[in-house]
Amino acid sequence: MSIIADEIIRFSSVLKIAYNFLTGRAYLKRKKFREKKKLVSVALPFSDLPFAAGTIPVFPIRMQVFNVNQYLSYLGTASNIFGWKGVSNFLGFVKNLGISEVSKIVDSIIEDVIQEINEKYNEMYDIGIEGGLSSDFCYGLKSLVGMHISKSRNVDAYMNITIRCSAFNKYLESLSAINNEPRPIWIDIPPRNIGNALELLTDNINHALGDFESLTGNSVSDNMLRNHFNISNQVKKAYKTIIYDISASDFYPCNPATFSEIMSLLNITFQDYNSNAIRYRDNMNSLVKEMRERIRKGIGMDVSGMPRIFVTPMFGGWEPKSHDYIYELGGRALYADWGLLRLLEEIPTSPRNNPVEEYARFLLNATETGIGCDNDKLTDSYLRMAKDLKADGVVFIQLFGCHSISNCYRMLRDKVRRELEIPITAITFNKIGENIEQVKTRIGAFMEMF
Amino acid sequence: METLELFEDFSLYLKEMKSQGKKVIAFISHDNIPEELIDAAGFIPLRLIFAGNDELMDASHDYLPPSTCAFAQTCIGLFALKPQQFDFLKLVDFFIVSNHCVSDICASEVICKYFNIPRLNFYISYMRNQSSEKYFRLEISAFRKNLEEIRNASISDDMLFDSIKKYNEFRKVLKDINNLNIKGSIKLKFMQNAFLYGPTILPELRDFIASNENSIPDTSNSIDLLLTGCSIFMNDILIDLIEDGGGNIIFFDTWIGHNYYSQQFEDHAIANAKNPIDLLASRYINNMYSDHSVPNFLENRITHIEQIYRKYQEKTGKRLGIINHIIKFCDHHSLMSSFFKNKLQEKEIQVLNIERDYSRANRGQLSTRIEAFMEMIRSE
Repeated sequence: MSIIADEIIRFSSVLKIAYNFLTGRAYLKRKKFREKKKLVSVALPFSDLPFAAGTIPVFPIRMQVFNVNQYLSYLGTASNIFGWKGVSNFLGFVKNLGISEVSKIVDSIIEDVIQEINEKYNEMYDIGIEGGLSSDFCYGLKSLVGMHISKSRNVDAYMNITIRCSAFNKYLESLSAINNEPRPIWIDIPPRNIGNALELLTDNINHALGDFESLTGNSVSDNMLRNHFNISNQVKKAYKTIIYDISASDFYPCNPATFSEIMSLLNITFQDYNSNAIRYRDNMNSLVKEMRERIRKGIGMDVSGMPRIFVTPMFGGWEPKSHDYIYELGGRALYADWGLLRLLEEIPTSPRNNPVEEYARFLLNATETGIGCDNDKLTDSYLRMAKDLKADGVVFIQLFGCHSISNCYRMLRDKVRRELEIPITAITFNKIGENIEQVKTRIGAFMEMF
Repeated sequence: METLELFEDFSLYLKEMKSQGKKVIAFISHDNIPEELIDAAGFIPLRLIFAGNDELMDASHDYLPPSTCAFAQTCIGLFALKPQQFDFLKLVDFFIVSNHCVSDICASEVICKYFNIPRLNFYISYMRNQSSEKYFRLEISAFRKNLEEIRNASISDDMLFDSIKKYNEFRKVLKDINNLNIKGSIKLKFMQNAFLYGPTILPELRDFIASNENSIPDTSNSIDLLLTGCSIFMNDILIDLIEDGGGNIIFFDTWIGHNYYSQQFEDHAIANAKNPIDLLASRYINNMYSDHSVPNFLENRITHIEQIYRKYQEKTGKRLGIINHIIKFCDHHSLMSSFFKNKLQEKEIQVLNIERDYSRANRGQLSTRIEAFMEMIRSE
């Protein structure tokens, strides 16, 4: 991990995003108790309406207490005085001096962040099973159930948006069985875009907005929606720049393992923007700027000779060591789940448009052409993304217990081989750290093809 | 042997229907498929209601991972292996891809794609509200159009009304069968056969009811049970294990059972309806016990079962055992199973959650669990 730490400290925005993620609990407490804001639990990147309605969306793992490395904690405090940029420069300077103790500290900061998140996910998984959820469900659902068993008492509402995955929809229903205090706010997405499905979804969203209004006691105007969409569009734009321009390019602002660490951190935090959309947007814009600056200065790594390995899907759970193994074997792992599922599409905000209808169009488009109402469409999404990333190979994560997104391997394999003519392999996953040796062996065998 | 003959007869029946120019439209069985529309088009709706075994499940693993619902695996296996007794599956002309659950989508899609069966789509919303009713109408209209294209003629409202009446009568008769005071396995067998043949079998069902109306089975030593959760499909040994273990199912709260026949229309509703689609849409929106729907499925189910339980207790003074049958990897029933059990047990209603696939290996374990549950009820 030292290579990772070496690189990552140069991105102050990454430190900020990591810090904001880990210290979510204190931030959320402040919002809830001091500012009397309503907390709304979200899973998957469906935080737009809670933000626009003036509530605080929270991906529930962030209500947990994380053992924040004391130095990162110190950095957080120091940042209030010096600013984050100054802190990052300082760390870089100290690291370059080669003072071993300090170097070790810096290494451990980043290592701790990644380690801590993974351990917390596994802890939530265990709580989910102890809470009675059958172990037959996917890692993502088990963890989500665990998160809610553990902390749903802190939230005021659940943002429940139905998708094609029946287990996910039933999980949404089960939240009220775990704790029936928070108000469930539902949006049902029509399975297909036929007839006036858009109009029906618009009605459903309007209904959900009504629920938000009674939750907060404040009305939600079109301008509030547009303002938030403007911010989220900027986040998405920055995210897409990182995926399509930088991760698909031949020169990286850091080594590929670090790059993958950053992408996995973004993948998690994108779901609720660390509960603060403006702060997250600023961090994402800084991240793009920092990456571009380094590339312009030639700081980073020429990765032109390293095969691009598209690793997907990872949002429901995957082995985080995968990208380390790929890197060690001369490749680079690319993560782009939210783009693949069409959840990075921007939402038009012109005053001429009805923002509710635009949001409905966004959700329907993701359902129809991203997530797909069947595996034929879903596999087309994988293909599209693999093409966009100019992938040389695909590692498909076959998530144990996932009956939806990661259930299409056979169809995908046929299409990838036929239409893209690149190698593809599947890795089964159940729990972080459980199958490390098998993952290593599979990736090793796969990388020999390049 | 009996089932083998039944399937042979069914195969002959389907061949006969095909020779009359009728198309066979198959689907993974669920409670929101508008079978009346298929019938009105002059086609045969064929519900896949067949239990699996190790070979059938294994055969599906080329297409979907083993952590797929055992029933969906079985449906794929049937088309992959084409066992001789299921010869009639070769007669399927179209297959409906629907989204009762995501395994329904994936398995149906695999069947169409890899076994070259033309596909028809029929999707439904997860919620039951005004918008989803309107959406249901869109799907019905698209489905009707598809069927009209296949038959190369329109399906008139009158034709649809006729089919709705026919199926409504069919549901009434199935309800009567469920109310008969006969052994659960016999009741189930008749219901399964009825699901396979559809209303064609009505005369036979009526005869059966007439000859069993006053029967008093010797089930005095059995524990009366309510079966809920996943249906018991044809060829499944579960019902035998339950009866061998000392139980007798008196109420089938499953899709093959109450969930199906409870979706009846009052006669005046049919008589007063101007548009047959209104009837189908109203049935969808009132289908409160469908495991597909969110958000109140668990709540509705618990209220319903509690009502039956209390009524039974009042009538007999005894406790009714609840068996919650969960086919392994079933999204709908498995995810809710612990909440379901806990909530009913809070009301002092005993529940046995049986989660299983169709492998032979788990029969012994199933028997032991069923027997232990019967013992527990008996000792209370």
